Amino acid sequence: MVVATRQSESIHSNGRLLDEDKINRALDNASRLGAEYAEIRLVSQTTNSASLKDGKLERAIPGQEIGITMRILADGAWGVHSTSDIASISEQVEPTLRLAKAVAARRSPSQHSVGLAEVPIIEDVTHWKSLKDVRDTDLDTRIEMMLAIDDEAKDHENIVSTSTGWSDEHIHTELMTTEGMNRVWSFQRSLINGMVTARDGNDVVSYRMRHGGEGGLEVIESCDLGLMGRNARISALRLLKAERAPSGKMPLVADRDLTGVYIHEALGHPCEADLVAAGDSCLEGRLGQMIGSEICTVVDDPTMRGGYGCYPVDDEGVNTRPKNLIVNGVLTEYLNHRETAHRYDLDPNGGARAQDGLHHPLVRMSNTVIQGGTHKDLDELIEDIEFGVYACGSRGGQVDTGRGSFQFAAQEAWIIENGSLSRPVKDVSVSGMTLEILKNVDGLTRDAYLGSPGFCGKGQTVPVGDGGPLMRIREALVG
Amino acid sequence: MIPDDAVERLMDSAQAIGNACEKAGVAEWEIFASQGYGHSLDIEAGKISMASGGGDGGFGIRIVDEGRYGFAHLVDPSSASNAISQALSIARKSPAIEGFELPGNLSATNVGGMKDKAILDMSPEDLLEQGDQVLTRVAELDSRAVAVGGGVGVGAGAGAIVTSSGIEDGGVYTSHGIGIHVSIEENDHLTSSYEGESSRTLLNDLTASVDKAVHWSQITREKIPGGDTEDCPVLMTSGGFSPLFSVVVPSAIKGERLARGESFWSGKMNQQVIADHLSIVDDGLMEGGMSSGSRDDEGVPSRTQSIIESGRLIGELWSTRDAAKLVSEGKVESAQTTGSASRGGHTSPPICGCSDLILSSSSKTHSREKLIEEMEQGYVVHSVMGAHTANPTSGDFSVTTSTILRVEGGEIVGALSQAGFSGNMAKALSGRVVLGDSSKRKGSYSTGSMHVPDVLMMDGLRINPA
Repeated sequence: MVVATRQSESIHSNGRLLDEDKINRALDNASRLGAEYAEIRLVSQTTNSASLKDGKLERAIPGQEIGITMRILADGAWGVHSTSDIASISEQVEPTLRLAKAVAARRSPSQHSVGLAEVPIIEDVTHWKSLKDVRDTDLDTRIEMMLAIDDEAKDHENIVSTSTGWSDEHIHTELMTTEGMNRVWSFQRSLINGMVTARDGNDVVSYRMRHGGEGGLEVIESCDLGLMGRNARISALRLLKAERAPSGKMPLVADRDLTGVYIHEALGHPCEADLVAAGDSCLEGRLGQMIGSEICTVVDDPTMRGGYGCYPVDDEGVNTRPKNLIVNGVLTEYLNHRETAHRYDLDPNGGARAQDGLHHPLVRMSNTVIQGGTHKDLDELIEDIEFGVYACGSRGGQVDTGRGSFQFAAQEAWIIENGSLSRPVKDVSVSGMTLEILKNVDGLTRDAYLGSPGFCGKGQTVPVGDGGPLMRIREALVG
Repeated sequence: MIPDDAVERLMDSAQAIGNACEKAGVAEWEIFASQGYGHSLDIEAGKISMASGGGDGGFGIRIVDEGRYGFAHLVDPSSASNAISQALSIARKSPAIEGFELPGNLSATNVGGMKDKAILDMSPEDLLEQGDQVLTRVAELDSRAVAVGGGVGVGAGAGAIVTSSGIEDGGVYTSHGIGIHVSIEENDHLTSSYEGESSRTLLNDLTASVDKAVHWSQITREKIPGGDTEDCPVLMTSGGFSPLFSVVVPSAIKGERLARGESFWSGKMNQQVIADHLSIVDDGLMEGGMSSGSRDDEGVPSRTQSIIESGRLIGELWSTRDAAKLVSEGKVESAQTTGSASRGGHTSPPICGCSDLILSSSSKTHSREKLIEEMEQGYVVHSVMGAHTANPTSGDFSVTTSTILRVEGGEIVGALSQAGFSGNMAKALSGRVVLGDSSKRKGSYSTGSMHVPDVLMMDGLRINPA
């Protein structure tokens, strides 16, 4: 009960929020009662968000949230308890263990029991320090940065409104397990975004922009915010004049943002081993198979510092590393956590992420990037396209991992005619089947890097980075 | 599941934080408190994979000083003084809004059906038995079918609001929900469907969602070749229509967006905007409504707000602050709260949003079979992928569907494997539209709860078979 929250009891002189002795006793108790494994993970988030509407402060929200989740594995099944009342967690060992055993009792002999792959047991403290700590950033600075976008974005009579937003967070995690894992890590993220709405008579359009990454104020300072606002304004005004996109199968060229969303939706999600284990992935049983064009190499890399999907340690305490999902078109690795690594006899690769301290870890992506190819630039990619679409900026996407079908939507687009960009079009969406369209990638520019930061929903929401080079797909279903 | 005195304890803590505000010299303050508890189970690969429980909550502090407002949130009431200082500091930097004051204490109508003792009494073991029933039902209906994902959950929450203007209110609400993702894979051919349902009272028949999921996984297996891209009538089942409607319409009916020209219905007040037999009502007083209650999230009595009547735009949604702000900016001559403030929880200040939004028709409604007959030629779409990519500013959408049936001569002739589906929601609803008489879906989204039947739209939609 929140009114009986006793968090302040647990703040200790060594900076730890967990009372290590007390947590160790709780974990010992779980083992004594029959747990094969138990963990207690605490996450403290210091957050700041703010927004402007038409250049005026709309809201600013400072916050401090703490959550704690206990997972107990007993008889090959999980029981979980999550709460914001840190001090009460020890009292939940027995009920949570009972839950796990009740789930296990329902398992038929033919169904898999949960086991965990072995990982190094580590006791350490890791702090990814930002150059400019988000906790030192004041509201005036945040407003000034947002105004830099707003000033440029609103500068036209057809722009009817502008919105800008700010979000930063300092994330501190502590994990203790019955295996002796005792890790503490922290890092920060910063994000700035905006939206421009333009109107001409009954036609109304909007354009969104976003910049951010792992780190503090330096992440925002590295962006030319005025240029971002100006580009958003130009794009919104262009969309006002754009015609509806054509429908049908045609060549598609995607910019970095869309390439990133494409690879996230079409490949990344089906590579998540918890979905594979649930029978909900079109990539089940395809490790080692050629599933894409040989020019496709895709990496998911939580260690790519500065990416919005970075994290130093995964939420099961496993060290992070880059994961090569596809190498030259061959599926080489699933994203996994300890449970799925055990199930498929794979090396754990640090893919466990939880939304916060009140959620249990799932297999998630981090920064997912398709590597660069051999084309020099956009001109070279489109020079032999008679009729197609060049699509830019993401409005998001979705995937049906089991069926292997996906959809993503662009913010703006151009018709390609006879090797040149001709006229702008709007409302472009692209859909396809993972196992078909990956083979249709036939051109990539040389320069690959992360696009705009994003958020990925899978019951829980986590920040991610996606990107790559400009990408050409021989044939895609547009509209 | 929840202590008997949960609301009283929240009220006491909220009052204590309010007292700290008074001590800090805050002119107007509002303390919003919430605490949730719940049990849930996850289903994966045809079995219950995990059971979990827990709860969380906290307090949101909103202060207003001469039209300037600040906000902060916290979990531990002992840290209130720091949060109050933060909120005050923010208020000093906020623009003053002439006429903006926290709402006064007006009497509110009690809304029934918000809690169910049967849910409060449910144990984790009871929930596991419900999970067993769900899995058994899947197996009974089709031996090929597998529940690849989903879950069942119950929740109970206590909420309270205490303000310097004398509002002191609180209550308990409950919820029960199921989501089930079924797939059938045979001969290298996989079909699937996701169905869900939620309620403030105990769902008596969890198997209804299972039956629908299995049914759609079965009837989409009869594949036919995709034809050409076609502008044609589309019958969207309530399950397919609800998520698209939830992205596009709630945003368009907010007073602020209408006043700023950010809505496709801006400048059209008192004009015909959709078919003349259609009406849209936001009912904050719906008994058992997932987004209803006696008061909104800033303590204003809820109401039933007519938005569109016989196709004509006649109403809009306002929160207290938005109304004062747009009047002070000269964007509208007058505006008052419609009891439409909502929050994502204690971590958010109130913003304008809809509650239980209902689409209805004064014309005769029809069964799904009759609508298919009436359509003559076109498609039935039961779910869409990418509803969140619809553009709420323009109403345009371009999504993908894999649960799509072809209709010829008024009969279903088979399913497409996949198709693009695009159009403009506002334009489609202003063309020839017929509503179904099917039970209305209670889809709950971040934008509110949608109550929509099957919708046959004859104009302005395009199907692009894969």
